[in-house]
Amino acid sequence: MSRTRLPLAALSLASVSALFLAGCSQSTNASTDTAGDTAASASAATGTKPAPFGKGAVKVALVRQSGAGDYFEQWGNGAKAQAKALGIDLTVYDAQADNAKQATDLSSAINSGAQAIIVDHGFPSTIQPEIDKAVKKGIKVVVYDVETTTKGVISTKQDDASMAQAVLDVMGKELGKDAKVGYVNVAGYAALDKRDSVWKSTVDANGWKQAFKVGKVTDSTATDNVPLVSAALTQHSDVTGIFAPYDELAKGTVLAVQNKKLQDKVKVFGADVSNADIQNMTAADSPWVATAGTDPSAVGAAVVRTTALELAGQLNKTSVEFPAVAITQDFLKSKNIQNMDQLRAALPALNLSQVSTADWIANVAH
Amino acid sequence: MTTTQSAAPAKTATPSTLAAAGPRIQNAVIKYGFIFVTVTLFTYFALSEPSFRDSATLLDTLRYVSVAAILGLGVTLTMAVGGMDMSVGAVAGLGVTVAAKTMVTYNQVGVVAIIAVIVAGALAGLLNALLIVVLKIPDMLATLGTMFVIQGTKLILVDGQSITPGMTQSDGTTAPGRFTEGFLRIDRGTILGIPVSVVIFGALTVVAWVFLARTRWGRVLYAIGANPEASRLAGIRVGAYRALAYVLSGVLASIGGLILAARIGQGDVSAGTSQLLEAVAVALVGTSVLGRGRPNVWGTALGAVLIGIITTGLTIKGLPYYTQDVVEGAVLILALIFSFTLSKRRTA
Repeated sequence: MSRTRLPLAALSLASVSALFLAGCSQSTNASTDTAGDTAASASAATGTKPAPFGKGAVKVALVRQSGAGDYFEQWGNGAKAQAKALGIDLTVYDAQADNAKQATDLSSAINSGAQAIIVDHGFPSTIQPEIDKAVKKGIKVVVYDVETTTKGVISTKQDDASMAQAVLDVMGKELGKDAKVGYVNVAGYAALDKRDSVWKSTVDANGWKQAFKVGKVTDSTATDNVPLVSAALTQHSDVTGIFAPYDELAKGTVLAVQNKKLQDKVKVFGADVSNADIQNMTAADSPWVATAGTDPSAVGAAVVRTTALELAGQLNKTSVEFPAVAITQDFLKSKNIQNMDQLRAALPALNLSQVSTADWIANVAH
Repeated sequence: MTTTQSAAPAKTATPSTLAAAGPRIQNAVIKYGFIFVTVTLFTYFALSEPSFRDSATLLDTLRYVSVAAILGLGVTLTMAVGGMDMSVGAVAGLGVTVAAKTMVTYNQVGVVAIIAVIVAGALAGLLNALLIVVLKIPDMLATLGTMFVIQGTKLILVDGQSITPGMTQSDGTTAPGRFTEGFLRIDRGTILGIPVSVVIFGALTVVAWVFLARTRWGRVLYAIGANPEASRLAGIRVGAYRALAYVLSGVLASIGGLILAARIGQGDVSAGTSQLLEAVAVALVGTSVLGRGRPNVWGTALGAVLIGIITTGLTIKGLPYYTQDVVEGAVLILALIFSFTLSKRRTA
């Protein structure tokens, strides 16, 4: 018996070691690829780098509430590419929509020796105390789409009010006054709350009747909202438009409308834009007629540039906003746009190449 | 890496020494293999990453795993009676919602919230006990059912919304309360520099160990898990003890929920769902520690620490979370090989 048991023990230990090695090497390959992309697309820096840049890698932590979903993936890719171009050693913490984990992630980031921390989304009550701790320790903190009261924190966000307004202007024209409308949104996220206040005033201004409000945010938001919206549409199949001011919510809404075969009667108005969103909007029979957005990868890159400027002491302001642009299904179809690259070419306002930049920053904006 | 070296010399040994040393090494591998993996990983991360050795990072790691560990203790108790509690994550999530509802909507103090959360946890445990002991539904299926019921109930309580201080409620009024400072200290405070949640984790581990390994009740639970029929014939009230295990598991899960609530600081309808698999994983990993091959409290606690070390270490190394899932899964499988394949062969 012992002859067979011993090799088995050795085998199991060996196999787990092999898995560790496999894990490590896979990650190395991935980061090499990113570096290649960056070198190809970055516009060269000409100026001399101020401290702390130029001497070794600058350590920055990116603490995210969730990196899942097309929008956040591109945001992360933009941030990573810009970090690479700047010589920043970026450690990414992804809580996978687990808010308790984000709190401990942020705490770990503070203790990791990072010179700056970027906080991407998060519940204010969850992360506020940790942000205070970071600032007290002298770490530069840049938040994206987070409401914070701490002095010294740099606040960056896409201009959510302008985003909601842009798409709701289109919705107003499409539906007219006194329409019966549906709403898919959740409370408690700064960006969504802002879009919510624009929604409320638009509903009042147009005399719309809100037939239902559903929605939830999970680690797979799009799929998880399909049953909610389907159920609401069973009850209220006579709505003419639905506002879903976050692309994962909009995707779920689109699927629900199609499941219910209501795509000829119900128009979906979303927010945000990504490759998948463009595909979704231009697909045959898509009820998603308008969205408004920023380019997520341009925003991710701009947030990292903002952090770099703050580290170098050259930012000289406490908030940076990224304006949104309205995009309609008709525009996408008439220009035959199928992805973000083509959209950036057709709408140069999206690339944010003039936001948070300097001559010593190699800019990855297209 | 270094883990293979322990077994490698034996491969090259002559048959005669192998025959003599084999069983001893074999037993040592089974007994200490997992502790060895933990210590090796810890040393590797500590040597290669200066920020990993920082005591603050280590405390953060313990703080991060405290919830999964406490839920894992509950799972361990139910595994001891031969069952399994799949509802622990949902019960912890229910705890977050009940805490938020009590303090934010009803404007009560923290103590009331703590009592409400623990009562909710005990009730969830009673529901499990009713389904399993009285209605004879298999443990895993019954607790899977209650998991869904509890998640739904939680959403009904709050109209599907995360309760935030100052939110506009469904009747148009503004929520009057907020999470009290005292309540938030459950996770955010420290005792002698150690986060309160880590202290709770340590204390509950000791209490659960004394209960399961050093009292008659604990031995009875194990006896039921090993052979319910023999236990019944020996005059043990099997049903009552199994019910006890599920109620205690519910209470432990609700304590995990209290820590989650204090960590998040507001209602969060998605809280707790990610904890289930980690809790079950740490309890399963725990079965391999010290070659017991059965659920045990120290194993569960060590399993949680190991998962924490892996998560923190790999994050500092810059590996994305999905590679961490692969590594955690591999460690779980390794632990199961220790517990089932190797231990079974030894006793066979």
